[in-house]
Amino acid sequence: MAGREELVQQQEIISFLQPALHMPQNWNYELASPVVKAYLHPPHDVGGQFDVPAIYEEKEEEQWELNTYVTCEVLGWRGIWNSEERRRRADNDLGYAMYLGIPYYGRWILAAARMLVDKKHIALSELIEKIAEVKARYARK
Amino acid sequence: MRESESRGTPPAAAGKARFKVGDRVRVKDLPNLFYSRTQMYVRGAVGTIAACTYQDLIPEDEAFNRDGRIEQYYIVRFRQKDLWPGYPFDNDTLQTESPERWLEPADD
Amino acid sequence: MSHAHTPGNGGAEHPAAPTVDEITDFEVLEIAVRELAIEHGLFTAEDHRRFTEWAESIGPAAGSRLVAKAWVDPAFKERVLKDAVKACKEIGIDWAEPTGFGTPSDYMNLRVLEDTPTLHHVIVCTLCSCYPRPLLGMSPEWYRTTNYRRRLVRWPRQVLAEFGLVLPPEVEIRVEDSNQKCRFMVLPVRPAGTENWTEEQLAEIVTRDCMIGVALPRPGRTADVHPMHRARRPVGSSRD
Ligand SMILES: [Fe+2]
Repeated sequence: MAGREELVQQQEIISFLQPALHMPQNWNYELASPVVKAYLHPPHDVGGQFDVPAIYEEKEEEQWELNTYVTCEVLGWRGIWNSEERRRRADNDLGYAMYLGIPYYGRWILAAARMLVDKKHIALSELIEKIAEVKARYARK
Repeated sequence: MRESESRGTPPAAAGKARFKVGDRVRVKDLPNLFYSRTQMYVRGAVGTIAACTYQDLIPEDEAFNRDGRIEQYYIVRFRQKDLWPGYPFDNDTLQTESPERWLEPADD
Repeated sequence: MSHAHTPGNGGAEHPAAPTVDEITDFEVLEIAVRELAIEHGLFTAEDHRRFTEWAESIGPAAGSRLVAKAWVDPAFKERVLKDAVKACKEIGIDWAEPTGFGTPSDYMNLRVLEDTPTLHHVIVCTLCSCYPRPLLGMSPEWYRTTNYRRRLVRWPRQVLAEFGLVLPPEVEIRVEDSNQKCRFMVLPVRPAGTENWTEEQLAEIVTRDCMIGVALPRPGRTADVHPMHRARRPVGSSRD
């Protein structure tokens, strides 16, 4: 478990996470339609947005990334979800901050976890306990 | 497993395709809510049907696990100049896919 | 923790990434989800193993073989352009693997886009990262970035130039945004200087980038050169 000092620091980091439409937005009794459309825009639809030149590097695949890909596909194979639902959950439902900030397969595994909880295959309490157990298991090694 | 979610069983036919290769079409701008695979940058733009491809579920429904509505899909070709203001190269084109319900005839 | 790791302007001072022996948050989540799914009988460990075996068997070499064969065999090329999924069987790729009905994400609608001296295709999926995995393997990370997806559709010549590919204005660049259930692969023009080459020789210059359309094949160019970001625990390494 994280110490108190670490938790306080974590709290500070969270407060920096504020993707925003850069205009005053308190007390929004009414919004102009273009603003509503901006909020409702599916985050995955990025074609034509501005960005800067980049170095297109290769990335070696992590074992957990391959495992995540396979887990998501096998869940599809066994009829638990389909890939369109996976794309909806991983590329849209997480919201802009997570869409832009979380690694590609990080979003996949979050989407799978959320789907299993939503469809009542796994209780959230059970998942949380499992996460803590896995953490402890590998911390001891 | 639910076979309907697999790719193995071809969905029921959607009927005759409304457009044919060479037809001019405009991409509709339907409201965005929760999910869409029709990109903002093609909405309202006019292009040409480049291919009639397959029939399948529409993404807005499939993303929420609803089987049923099957539609014809097309590949639509656009001139880049018609998509991006000030695009400097006359010859360049872009193709993308669209299910039938997002397209309407364009007579220009 | 004694020193502050508060993110500063431009995010230059993010908290340090975990050290190599530490397990990361996503590794933990991945293990937890996989183990619970198996414990609840949603799939079996054997399902996971079988799919992994398939995923580790795919790669761009199959696409290279297809292009080389299409270059030397015009009748095969016609079959590829007519029904690419069917033609793939001739080079040993069955899109129905590994489940009998294909993967859940790749569907079975492959289209091969033929370049000519005046037409150059390049592929992107602006919405996610759709890619013909059975034929080209897993997509490169850069193909999945918002940067490539944002820019390629609108500034294709600039992006291609960053890959080292500059094409004259009289060559039509056709961007294929793979946004639904078709999957695409580029069939490049066979370069000069490869007359009398064997299929094996030809396949060597047809790299993954050539089949995405961000590079052109030429004699002597047998690899896609990008800076490499190494994995902390790459595929094949085990925690246990
Ligand atoms: Fe995609």
